Amino acid sequence: MLVKDCMTRHPIIVPATMPVVKAQQIMADNKIRHLPVAGDGKRLLGLVTRQRLSLKTDTLGSLNLWDITRHLSNMTVKNVMLPSTKVQTITPERTIERAARIMADHKIGCLPVMENGGVVTGIITEIDLLNAFQEMLGLPVEGVRVTVRMPNRPGEFSKLMTALGDQNWGVMGIGTYPSPKADGFYDAVLKIRLVAAARVEDILNQIPDQEVIDIRNVA
Amino acid sequence: MVDNKASPVLQVKDLAVAYKIRGGEIEAVQDASFVIKRGEAYGIVGESGCGKSTVAWAVLNFLGANGYVKRGQIKFLGQELTQKSKSELRLLRGDQIAMVYQDPMQALNPSMRLGDQMKEVLTIHRGISDAEAEKRCAKMLERVYMPDPVNVMKRYPHQISGGQQQRVVIGMALLNNPALLIMDEPTTALDVTVEAAVLDLIAELRHEYDTAIMYITHNLGVVARVATRVGVMYAGEMVEQGTVEEIFKNPRHPYTQGLMRCVPKLGANKSESILYPIPGRVPPPGNRPAGCMFAPRCDYADNRCQEEHPALRALDNVNVRCHLAEEIDWRQWTPTEDVIAPPAVIAQAAADQPILEAKSLKTYYPVKGSSLKDVLGLGEKRFVKAVEDATFQIKRGKTLGVVGESGCGKSTLVKTIIGLEDSTGGDVKFLGFDITGNLSTRDEQVIKELQMVFQNPDSTMNPTYTVGQQIARPIRRFKTVPNDQVRAEVVNLLETMRLGANYFDRLPRQLSGGEKQRVGIARALASRPDLILCDEPVSALDVSVQAAVLNLLLEIQQKYDTTLVFIAHDLSVVRFFSDEIAVMYLGQIMEIGPAEAIYAPPYHPYTEALLSAVPVPDPTAKQKHIRLQGNVPSAINPPAGCRFHTRCPRRNLLPNGGKICQTEIPPWREPDDEHKIFCHLPTDTLTTFEPVISKEGNG
Amino acid sequence: MEAMQSGLKLAAPPSRLRRMWKNISIIFDSRVGTIGMIMVLFWIVTALVSLFWTPYPPNATDFIQNTPPNIQNLLGTDQLGRDILSRLMQGTQVILLKTRLPWGKAILPGGVAIWGVLGSVTLGAVLGLNAGYRGGWTDQIIMQFLDALIAFPVIVLYLVVIAALGQGDLVVIVAITITGAPGVARLVRSLTLDIKTRDYIRAAETRAETIWYIMFKEILPNARGPLLVDSMLRVGYAIFAIGTLGFLGIGLPPPDPDWGNMVNEARRSIFANPLAVVWPSLAIASLVIGLNLFADGLREELSRYQK
Repeated sequence: MLVKDCMTRHPIIVPATMPVVKAQQIMADNKIRHLPVAGDGKRLLGLVTRQRLSLKTDTLGSLNLWDITRHLSNMTVKNVMLPSTKVQTITPERTIERAARIMADHKIGCLPVMENGGVVTGIITEIDLLNAFQEMLGLPVEGVRVTVRMPNRPGEFSKLMTALGDQNWGVMGIGTYPSPKADGFYDAVLKIRLVAAARVEDILNQIPDQEVIDIRNVA
Repeated sequence: MVDNKASPVLQVKDLAVAYKIRGGEIEAVQDASFVIKRGEAYGIVGESGCGKSTVAWAVLNFLGANGYVKRGQIKFLGQELTQKSKSELRLLRGDQIAMVYQDPMQALNPSMRLGDQMKEVLTIHRGISDAEAEKRCAKMLERVYMPDPVNVMKRYPHQISGGQQQRVVIGMALLNNPALLIMDEPTTALDVTVEAAVLDLIAELRHEYDTAIMYITHNLGVVARVATRVGVMYAGEMVEQGTVEEIFKNPRHPYTQGLMRCVPKLGANKSESILYPIPGRVPPPGNRPAGCMFAPRCDYADNRCQEEHPALRALDNVNVRCHLAEEIDWRQWTPTEDVIAPPAVIAQAAADQPILEAKSLKTYYPVKGSSLKDVLGLGEKRFVKAVEDATFQIKRGKTLGVVGESGCGKSTLVKTIIGLEDSTGGDVKFLGFDITGNLSTRDEQVIKELQMVFQNPDSTMNPTYTVGQQIARPIRRFKTVPNDQVRAEVVNLLETMRLGANYFDRLPRQLSGGEKQRVGIARALASRPDLILCDEPVSALDVSVQAAVLNLLLEIQQKYDTTLVFIAHDLSVVRFFSDEIAVMYLGQIMEIGPAEAIYAPPYHPYTEALLSAVPVPDPTAKQKHIRLQGNVPSAINPPAGCRFHTRCPRRNLLPNGGKICQTEIPPWREPDDEHKIFCHLPTDTLTTFEPVISKEGNG
Repeated sequence: MEAMQSGLKLAAPPSRLRRMWKNISIIFDSRVGTIGMIMVLFWIVTALVSLFWTPYPPNATDFIQNTPPNIQNLLGTDQLGRDILSRLMQGTQVILLKTRLPWGKAILPGGVAIWGVLGSVTLGAVLGLNAGYRGGWTDQIIMQFLDALIAFPVIVLYLVVIAALGQGDLVVIVAITITGAPGVARLVRSLTLDIKTRDYIRAAETRAETIWYIMFKEILPNARGPLLVDSMLRVGYAIFAIGTLGFLGIGLPPPDPDWGNMVNEARRSIFANPLAVVWPSLAIASLVIGLNLFADGLREELSRYQK
């Protein structure tokens, strides 16, 4: 899965001259947390996030009631945005794990997706990544979710696949990861459609060296 | 897929648009609400004058000096557009909203090379280098399936065909990757095969770029093919909206139902099915009824509909603006007496003598060269071979339909028959008279018996004279009745055309398109001709009017036993209307035979391609996907052998990849008595072609 | 209120008179057109009044020469002591109201400018229709001939015509006709080329109507809008031309005053009485500008109306 497959295309973008109050309104109305700021030709100028909109406490303390109103109404997006030089971005052709990595490393919630050297084509947020994660594990479809533990050596996964293939089962989602608290093993999570859980357990437990450690019916 | 991306790109709510005119204002759009989400194509259908285009212009704020948004909201990507300043809107239009019009030349600068125009979109204000822009434009042209993009970019707009121009415009619109693409009848001026390719392209781009598309059209078939959801507009209001499947399967609003009954289904014919026009016409803005807009034309309307204006409300899966939507079952509908009773078509028993017989008729136009040799008359004479070897006959009281793409010679064929053009060779006999020459060589009697109905309602009548004067002219000219009875005869004709005697003194500009067309038919009828040639008589009309005019033509055919030659580009209409059909390509008749035989296998490969391109007003119908490559070749130098060989998708069924098609003129295959196909493929192979259109499920 | 009611009663076609008024009243939608019309009407009224009354006999040399405007002579007097106002008023007649025929005292209603323009429109229309509708060689020959005519400077053409035919109102009409016809012909030809592609012309052709019927009954009536506007402008040019000829002393013959001639005569004493030059010049200018504005307004409104 690449960024272009799970990003949101045509995000709401705002001009730098927009009053902050209006930007805030747009974020509230559309239930979004990030607003890329762009100029001519959708070139990225910066990014506005919810935190960016909250007034710093020391500024707030120094202002009286009237000043606050004035302060707010005069402020434009340009004053509060994170300038583009400091915004982490990504291109549509990169992988989503790379996107996840960048977001995790910088502890940020979104990456504007850029094309042709600076044109905003989309935005990818943590929500998009969570959705991708669900999809990879086949979440929206009803079926049997089974976790199989296998030794970490070549050929084990293919045994599992052969078993599935023999039964002609359809796998809706799959994920593998090093088994937590069990060195030298890998867990594989599978989502299998249109089959009974007992039957799955039966078949998979027959694979030598592998073990079903969790099985459940999920929707 | 987790559907979190389906957030709206465009939200229009309670929109009203008004134009200021002398002494007040008119509300062109009164109440339109709809939402278009990312990657969705929203079709807006309705007859002309219903405010479809006005909605699009309101979104772009192209309302002109006297138009303005009176009420309602237009939200684009969460931002209210109606309050934006002109410069903010311009920025949005350039970067995030693009529009494609019906006429591509409206968007192209005729004096600039296409490449330069496209690059301008990227280089101006964008700081993209010229070389980079060039590369991206070429790539975009490739995306829109433009053959040889690098070469095309060096050309001027007039050097490429209309379909290609429209592709350039679409490509240009997509260069900035807009969030919203507004298309106002983008394929109406194009041939079906080109239209099909453009519609394919739109669907593909929608999937790939998640572009929201607002697609305005009057053609139900196009909507069924291109749109995911549909809004039906009537008299400035949205009267029904829902998914395309729902609207076509179970239309709730009487207007939508009426529209569906107006269009012939592909494959329907006049003896088995009937078209029901919607009575009356769209009320003009400023003179709209107080209650339901549709009440005056509605079969179900009761007192409440006359008085109370219905609101758009949700009903099952659709929104509908009708008080009675729950009670109306459109399958139970029966025509009321107001509807023009469609004549029962009686199968003609006697196999009459043919009234018109053409044998290898040819019409060539000389081409003027511009070289010195040509000017001096020394150059080799070249010709546009507009009609080549046309052989056909028409029996009295029957209809011959002629179909084909523009430039296929169907209009020239008709002009030659009527005598506006000289024929170059061959033999045409009409009632036993030779009519190979033009009008000046013809006998008065022949001229009188041959009349014509024209395409464009706006130019078919002389704006100077009243309806009565214009219909009376042929009567006086041919002295069909004594002078003192002319008026009575005109009134008689008007009544035949379902226009009252009070139309006698009206001027053309006081008539609607359909009425003008009817007067045009009355004028053609006035000399009591035996043969009427109809050149696309209904293609410029709205569907409901089209149905009424078709019914009238059928009626007069019955009444006067008139023979008709009927040209149309709409294959459903031709199928519905004709007894026999000729399919033309590049001046050559490719297939000719009884209507039902043309629309079922065995097909000529070209007919097959045409049929697969027709937009069918049924989203569930399965249609074979055949798209012709390239352009129609020039008629000055038509391809040798079979004229269709350069684009034929079935050529490879022949040995040697169809080498024979390039060199030898094909033979006439005769799968049936009257059914003839001009193709090298043997009849047995042609018969194996599957039907182009099939219903889902039940085959 | 009345407008609303008539709007509701669309079913009955409006009477001919009302239709005509509606057609005329469109000019009021254009401010420019209205101003132009007022200016033109002013001169028409002046001309009509002068038929019956002028302050003094226009050719009587009753006053002191070259007086500036005063109560007695509102616009002053000229170098021969004639009342300029009376002469200006009388001068409108030959332009707009009457043409003096060379046979005795016979008078043709309609001024020299009007007849001249009618002449050029008629000749131009016939030539333009034939060139446009027939096309081919006819077109070539007619247009080459007219181009050759246009290539001559207008003044030279006038001089040629007057040298050949001598002075007189009719001769001025002929001169205006000949110089104006090529322009009209070009206009009519281009209109014809457009109109002849319309389907109603095809319909007439399929009835095998004669070429003259098609040209004059089917095409010409539909060219009348632009032709009318063009004629308005041409009346302006014609007045200008008459002024020019008068100034050169070869225009309309005496005794009736002629604006161009008035300028010419007053020119000699321009330092003594500059206003005597200004008044007739202003008269020519105001009438020509009025006609131009009127034509502009008409064109604007016609094009909007036809949409």
